[in-house]
Amino acid sequence: MGSIRQRLTLIVLSGVAAVWLYSLYSSYRQAAHEVGEWDKARVEQVARALLVLDLDDLPVFAKASVPPRDDDGDNDQPMPLLYEIMATDGRVLAASPGVPAFALPGRAAGGQSAERARWYVYTTGDPARGRIVRIFEQCSHRSAVSAVSAKRVARPLLFALPVLAVLIWIAIGRSLTPLRILSKAIEERSSDSLETIEIKNIPDEVVPLVSALNMLLRRLRQSLDRERAFTSDAAHELKTPLAAIKVQAQVALTARDPQRQRRAMQRVVDAVDRSAHLADQLLALARLEESTPLPSSWVDLAQTAQACLAEQHANAQRKQMSLVLRSGGQVMVQAPPALVRILFDNLVDNAIKYGRAGGRIEIAACNEAGAFGLEVKDDGPGVDPQDMSRLNDRFFRGADHTEKGSGLGLSIVARIVTQLGGKLEYAAGIEGRGLGVRIRLPASIRPPR
Amino acid sequence: MRVLLVEDDRLIGSGVEDGLAEVGMAVDWAYDGRQAQLAMATTPYDLVILDLGLPHISGTELLDWIRKRGDHTPVLVMTARDAVADRVSGLGAGADDYVGKPFDLTELIARCRALVRRSQGRGTDTIEYGGLIVDPQRLTVMRGSERIGLTSRECALLVELLGSQGRPLSRARLQDSLYGWNEEIESNAIEVHVSNLRKKLGSALIRTIRGIGYVIEAPT
Repeated sequence: MGSIRQRLTLIVLSGVAAVWLYSLYSSYRQAAHEVGEWDKARVEQVARALLVLDLDDLPVFAKASVPPRDDDGDNDQPMPLLYEIMATDGRVLAASPGVPAFALPGRAAGGQSAERARWYVYTTGDPARGRIVRIFEQCSHRSAVSAVSAKRVARPLLFALPVLAVLIWIAIGRSLTPLRILSKAIEERSSDSLETIEIKNIPDEVVPLVSALNMLLRRLRQSLDRERAFTSDAAHELKTPLAAIKVQAQVALTARDPQRQRRAMQRVVDAVDRSAHLADQLLALARLEESTPLPSSWVDLAQTAQACLAEQHANAQRKQMSLVLRSGGQVMVQAPPALVRILFDNLVDNAIKYGRAGGRIEIAACNEAGAFGLEVKDDGPGVDPQDMSRLNDRFFRGADHTEKGSGLGLSIVARIVTQLGGKLEYAAGIEGRGLGVRIRLPASIRPPR
Repeated sequence: MRVLLVEDDRLIGSGVEDGLAEVGMAVDWAYDGRQAQLAMATTPYDLVILDLGLPHISGTELLDWIRKRGDHTPVLVMTARDAVADRVSGLGAGADDYVGKPFDLTELIARCRALVRRSQGRGTDTIEYGGLIVDPQRLTVMRGSERIGLTSRECALLVELLGSQGRPLSRARLQDSLYGWNEEIESNAIEVHVSNLRKKLGSALIRTIRGIGYVIEAPT
């Protein structure tokens, strides 16, 4: 599709052309009618003259053709009128040479016109004198006259059309100048400028477009800001284990005490583990940010919890913790299995990391009396009340963290719960100690009964 | 030289602690701002190494607190956020120097030494005394063209005594500047180091003042 300018010019021009064609047609019709009336009067006049002419003069007159009056200055050929004068009994008294032979009914009185084989024939008679006069005229002559007059009307407009086209083209171009200025301003922006476009000096028709564009720019800037903050946080978080690796490696290189050297190397390994965990968490978070939803299927929460506990068993044993699963049989939900698994992994991993050594972790998946969801509780030191509200923040870690957490676990959990349309609550853990994470899932992902 | 390290990350903290101890610095390690405030209120430090991202009290707040109480101890800021703007605001808030994570341990040590040297009004790292040139960085003492090697603790002890020439230093004070909080110290550690230094540099250098401690006399 071409430019607005092209389209507008085309539309306006075709409108003008249509009006022009109509006026051409109607003026042709008008001219033809006028010419017909005038010709009719002329033919009648001649016929009347022939009726009263002396019988001896008739052949002379008939031989001379009567040129049509043509004083309009153009060069159309004079078209002769042909005559045939007959007595009432059908005897031809006089005739122009080349008169077509028609069998036409003779009429004694009154005028009658007829068209026959491209000839216009006017017949009139005078019963008192016993004479019938026929006057022949070629039809083409009439239409030629009408055409000439129509052409005269059409010609100036025909010449005006290209001029009109140019004028319209320029006029539309000029009215589109604000648009051009706007697009130029947008074009000249630097690629990182997400400032809104000023609405001043913009035609009313374009304001909605610019407003919509501004809204998009604002949203884009917000998401870009969020992205930048995340990248900067992520880079910062990645630098910390890297700094640990570097400093421990350098200690290992320079330490003269072999025990100190060994310890430093062990810490290098720990720091690498931590970086790997952080990278995993960042990847999980990045996948959650993707807009394409993961495929859902029926997932048994109790079974997923069981699988997760089996995997975390070794970690829990290292801290002599006991893991307890409480569930009343199957708890089926419609959700992406991968998400549910990540959810459990992060919750249990967190509980083991921040719970107390020798403590207890309880996991519950329930589906009774309208309560549908899962719960992970520990009896560790818990979280400071002042830090409770920040638990979902990315990279936030509680005050006393000796563990190798990334500060991403609970923000991943929060994101998954949001994606599943559920609700996340933090409360006290087992017997009022530690931390309890309670997740309620919406009825829509419950199985049909 | 006694250093307060304020760092909440165990892996980085332990590395810095070991690295500084290796070159004879006594390091006290505080895990957060509150511990750091407690330590600074009770112990004089030659240098503070401060991480900015701390729980409870942020590094910036702690720096502010240090400067507000009129403490001019040099502060070396250590942070992962090391964009120019961060450095400028950190230095503006009273930091003396900056290292970005991940940093180089040798660079960190060199910067620590430079900061302490500057705070003591010395231009160079080496100390000259009575025909001896002490280089704390290389742990050596030069007497003419003769090179005498020292252990890091011996060197730290020598530098400490040279830093307060003419003023006797108690054994407890020397212990404080040589050993951090959680280092095990033999009860006669200082005596052992002093006797080693006397063996290497001559018995006349360090004088024992009975009941008080040790002194290196100011040159006459």
